[in-house]
Amino acid sequence: MKRFVVTAWIAVMCLPVLSACWNQKELTDLAFVMAIGVDKGKDKKFNVSFQIVIPGNVSLMQGGGGQGLPIAIYSSSGDTLTAAARSVTKKVSRRLYYAHTNLIVFSEEIAKNGILNIMDALDRDPEFRTTTQMVIMRGTPAEVLVSSLANLDKLPVNKITKEIKATEAMLGENMQINIDDFLAGLVSDGIEPVVNGFRVTGDIEMAGKAEDLQNTKTKAILAADGLAVFKKGKLIGWIEHEKARGVVWILNKVKSTDVNINWNGKKKAISMVTIRTKTMVSAKVKKGKPVIQIAIEDEGWISEANTDVDLTNPKEIEKIDKLVEEEIKKQILTTVKEAQKMKSDIFGFGERVHRKDPKLWKKIKSNWDEHFAELEVNVKVDSYTRREGIRTNPYWKDLKQ
Amino acid sequence: MSILSKMLKNKQKKRQNDNYRQQQDPQKPEEQVILRSYLDNVSRIKGELGNSTDLVFREFTICQHKGTVVYIDGLADEKLICDFFIESLSDEEFDSRQEPFQVMADKAVGLGSLQIATEWNQVFDSILSGNTIFFLDGYNKAINVETKGWEMRAITEPSTQLSIRGPKDAFTETLRVSTAQIRRRIKSPNLWLESMKIGMVSQTDIAIMYLKGVANEKIVKEVKERLKRINMDAIQSSGHIEQLIEDQAWTTFPTTYHSERPDVVTSHILEGRVAIIVDGTPFVITAPAVFIQFFQAPDDYYSRFDISTGIRILRILSFYIAIIGPAIYIAGTTFHQEMIPTTMAIAIAAQRENVPFPAFVEALIMEVTFEILREAGLRLPRAVGQAVSIVGALVIGQAAVQAGIVSPVMVIVVSITAIANFSTPSFAMAIAARLIRFFMMGLATVLGFYGVMLGLMFLSIHLCSLRSFGIPYMMPIAPFNLRNQQDVFVRFPVWAMKNRPKFISKGNMVRTGENQKPGPKTKPDDQGPKGES
Amino acid sequence: MEKAKIKASQMFILIVLFEMGSAILVGLGTDAKQDAWIAILLGLAGGLLLFLVYYFLFSYYQDVPLTSYLQLITGKWIGRFLGFLYIVYFIYCAARILRDFGELLATTIYTSTPLIVINSLMIITIIYAIHKGIEVIARVGELFFAIIYLMAIGGILLVTVSGLIHLEYLLPILENGWKPVIKTFLGETLTFPFGEMVVFTMLLPFLNDAKKVKIVCFGGMILAGVNIAITVVINVASLGPELFTRSNFPLLTTIGKIQLANFIERLDVLFMLYLVVGGFFKISLYFYAAVAGTADIFKFKNQYNLSFPIGFVILFASMTIATTYAEHVKEGLHVVPIYLHWPFQIIIPFILLVIAFFRNRKKKRLARGT
Repeated sequence: MKRFVVTAWIAVMCLPVLSACWNQKELTDLAFVMAIGVDKGKDKKFNVSFQIVIPGNVSLMQGGGGQGLPIAIYSSSGDTLTAAARSVTKKVSRRLYYAHTNLIVFSEEIAKNGILNIMDALDRDPEFRTTTQMVIMRGTPAEVLVSSLANLDKLPVNKITKEIKATEAMLGENMQINIDDFLAGLVSDGIEPVVNGFRVTGDIEMAGKAEDLQNTKTKAILAADGLAVFKKGKLIGWIEHEKARGVVWILNKVKSTDVNINWNGKKKAISMVTIRTKTMVSAKVKKGKPVIQIAIEDEGWISEANTDVDLTNPKEIEKIDKLVEEEIKKQILTTVKEAQKMKSDIFGFGERVHRKDPKLWKKIKSNWDEHFAELEVNVKVDSYTRREGIRTNPYWKDLKQ
Repeated sequence: MSILSKMLKNKQKKRQNDNYRQQQDPQKPEEQVILRSYLDNVSRIKGELGNSTDLVFREFTICQHKGTVVYIDGLADEKLICDFFIESLSDEEFDSRQEPFQVMADKAVGLGSLQIATEWNQVFDSILSGNTIFFLDGYNKAINVETKGWEMRAITEPSTQLSIRGPKDAFTETLRVSTAQIRRRIKSPNLWLESMKIGMVSQTDIAIMYLKGVANEKIVKEVKERLKRINMDAIQSSGHIEQLIEDQAWTTFPTTYHSERPDVVTSHILEGRVAIIVDGTPFVITAPAVFIQFFQAPDDYYSRFDISTGIRILRILSFYIAIIGPAIYIAGTTFHQEMIPTTMAIAIAAQRENVPFPAFVEALIMEVTFEILREAGLRLPRAVGQAVSIVGALVIGQAAVQAGIVSPVMVIVVSITAIANFSTPSFAMAIAARLIRFFMMGLATVLGFYGVMLGLMFLSIHLCSLRSFGIPYMMPIAPFNLRNQQDVFVRFPVWAMKNRPKFISKGNMVRTGENQKPGPKTKPDDQGPKGES
Repeated sequence: MEKAKIKASQMFILIVLFEMGSAILVGLGTDAKQDAWIAILLGLAGGLLLFLVYYFLFSYYQDVPLTSYLQLITGKWIGRFLGFLYIVYFIYCAARILRDFGELLATTIYTSTPLIVINSLMIITIIYAIHKGIEVIARVGELFFAIIYLMAIGGILLVTVSGLIHLEYLLPILENGWKPVIKTFLGETLTFPFGEMVVFTMLLPFLNDAKKVKIVCFGGMILAGVNIAITVVINVASLGPELFTRSNFPLLTTIGKIQLANFIERLDVLFMLYLVVGGFFKISLYFYAAVAGTADIFKFKNQYNLSFPIGFVILFASMTIATTYAEHVKEGLHVVPIYLHWPFQIIIPFILLVIAFFRNRKKKRLARGT
């Protein structure tokens, strides 16, 4: 036995020498792919661009570094994602490493036609993370977004992922959607996926140039813009601005947002900011037909009151609550209408019906889209204004006197 | 390795044979007897000891009989012998009716405990251990008086096991002083002491101390048997003994505990362990030892239980860091880059950009350098040692990084590992961790965390298979024993440590009486149920 | 037989670790979709009934393992032959599990490392443990039990805090009726992992207190079964039934989804930690049963000498039982339960029990008669 242990140890100790080509990979041999952009190619099916980080230029080291550009873009084309990813190695001196990829960008063209031909590669690969954020580039090729630089963040990819996060937390018009979420929507019968849209406005040419960062106001502006609606894996339309917020709200992803209401004839006079909000979607069966019930509970505070309103009066506050409830309800209902027009169940109403009444679901599953378009949706909002900031009544009251 | 062990075995056999021959060489019975003529006796001693110059012979006359005092200069207390014996002899007149030998014995009693020796073996043993022998012409027996009195080191502060609040005395090299230090702390008739001599040539005195009625008789017997089995020419220190009485030779972990603090040894004896004190070493061995014991520092018991619990958990954590720290770095940067948060991965990658070596080699260079520095600093005189540490700090900390040979992260990892290693209270355990660390690094290089995990598994199996005097090494943890958890990860409050560890002691188990929880005793309502819980 | 004694608590821990071992890792009961947990609880109930059979057999022959009382029940030569079959079965099971673990590592993290390297390192560690004996394995079990539980609690907390749990994914319950659930129960969860308790027929004689067998084994099985069911519920609730069915290793996918505070993410390595521990105990116990059985049948005095050759057999069997992972899984789902698990776990023990019952009754009558 002793001899066995000794031999085993010697064998193990010999392994480092022999194992050079296994899974061991030195950090300095890796090219960290931070973002991938997929465009339609000219000859081949896809044109894929890889954003690779240059560590020396990102990390602050004593005595040098941080001078050059933080990223480099390489692109290649191929009929499959794997083919493109492998052929790009002709251009890169290091092994591409996908575990830290935070973002995958599709051009609108790809989203409209061939996104299904890409997703399996992303789902199957053990290195690639399915928690990677997904974004659809509107108008311009995906490469523009992948190659763009940012002035606030060292890593440009962080600009995009953090921007989505901040929007989700503060505005609620976009939300974090990763590959997992997309696939779950794609596979399940009773729900269709949505994906964040991004748009570059201004001087598109300047997006990837370092000199653009010298301006305090960059010439190319990147911004999240709308939610892409998918159906059967194909992009069929966009939901914009407030309607997009409705989607996020129904999916119970809103953390904070602002609701503006009219007061005494003055438009958008009062702003209410929600602190927490909760959406409950439930299905009921009425006369053999499914009915969806959306219940929203919402708490907030008044962040702006640009009119003469007595905020010390609980009755007035109650009135504001009523108005807010109506406003939210209106927004939600227009959103639902929009989706019904596209016949895409992005809210997962079908899943609710499925869970509520599996037998009914089996019957209507095959043409759920038609059912969805005519679905009866009831919205009930309970809104509570808890406090009104650090002032009682607005100065408008004094101006009046 | 197997060849090596074979060679070792062969050598051992040979040595055993040699010893055997020495033992078996019987002196003829008549040669054992002390002769009547004191001059013959003197010449015999001179002959046997090769006329060594530190032998002192002083002649005297008592009742017209000539006699000689024999002792070794430096071992026996010369002043005592002169003052009390030789001077008093020359002064007084003696009654001639009295038996001269008896007179001499009466006189010698004043020096110390006295024995009548009739055989040469006793004579030589006594002289060489510092006793004084009196021969008288015409008697075939001698008087053997204990006059041990050599120069010894004073009791000083412990140099290896420091404590903030505990007692400041340490054992010295003298066996008697050490046993007295323990005796002074346990004034119980149940504290038994047995002594023996080990070492064919060195004849080293060894004492075992234990608390009768608390220590497990079986273990005491086992300790004695293992000590008796030792067949070596010389025992230089307790380290020798330790290596000869272990349960399992093929392990890096210490399976007996050693300490130079009397308070630690005392508390071990009180828990039912057996202390082995070796003359000539200030380190006392206690056995059996369990794994967790090496993470218990004396200060744990002198400070509050919550604090010492926290610190003990910290120590165990740092032991893990010391074992797998660099291995995790290697595994993380060469296999599992996905685990490191993105920004950190990029930062490390940037730092490693100019490092010419793979992570394993980088780590190996740094670790080995550090070990060399530590080893060098350990044995150097204090003044030079400081110079070494300055050079080390500059070379490792600054120059290596600036030259781009290692990355700053690696320096951080090595420093954390080193500091974590220092926080293990027991040097023997810390050094085991140092050795295992390199194996772990190798495994991490081969297979990343899978390798590290297998290494830990291997380590756990090994630890669980160890025993110390029949007690499983991982005792209160595996096999798990709920009632013995009072002093493992959580150090219970002193008033709650009611029993001695069951797996060590047998017999009297009660350590703390009932209702010892402190608090104002004025409110009778609070007492009953709370005291119980 | 090795002269070893195991405490009741150690046996309990071994049972829990053995039962959970690989059952938590692989997608158990995926055919039943969101009702997998029902299938598992049914499997647990069936397994408990099945264990009663082993328990009665044990209570007839308390001091000897399965391979010995096979000879007592069916006669020397048939018993030996059956015992030999059991040894082969244990070796095969150990090899299967080793392959499972190796494949898991090879598909997720060690994509370009040869399978034989992964497997052989694992088997070397296990051989070392087998060599040290069952007592040491039990102690290692105690050491890791707490760690595993802390990790499990930590994992559940992380999954919950990251907001991954959607209990509504478990609805609708019994969407397609009982049929798929019963099918999963009979074909999968009854035999794997609960029927695998047949291994413990080799280990029960080591228990130092024969009276505690019932409580220890049933308790261990119930705890393990509940744990597995909870894991499956968490998997379904965080992945949804579709992804749960689609994943090779649902738990790995669940853990991969954890994202917290921007730096607690990609915790796959934690999963591997569990993997090695769970795999270790499952393989070691099968392995140990095979070694103990061989020593028992072929009258080896020192069974430690067997650990190395049998270990090698397991290693090479694990490499050769299937050429692809798909084939391996297919065998595992459709061939092994029917042609191996059912006979060895259910049919043979049941027949044995019937024969043993009559034999013992006759013996008793004889004893009374004289």
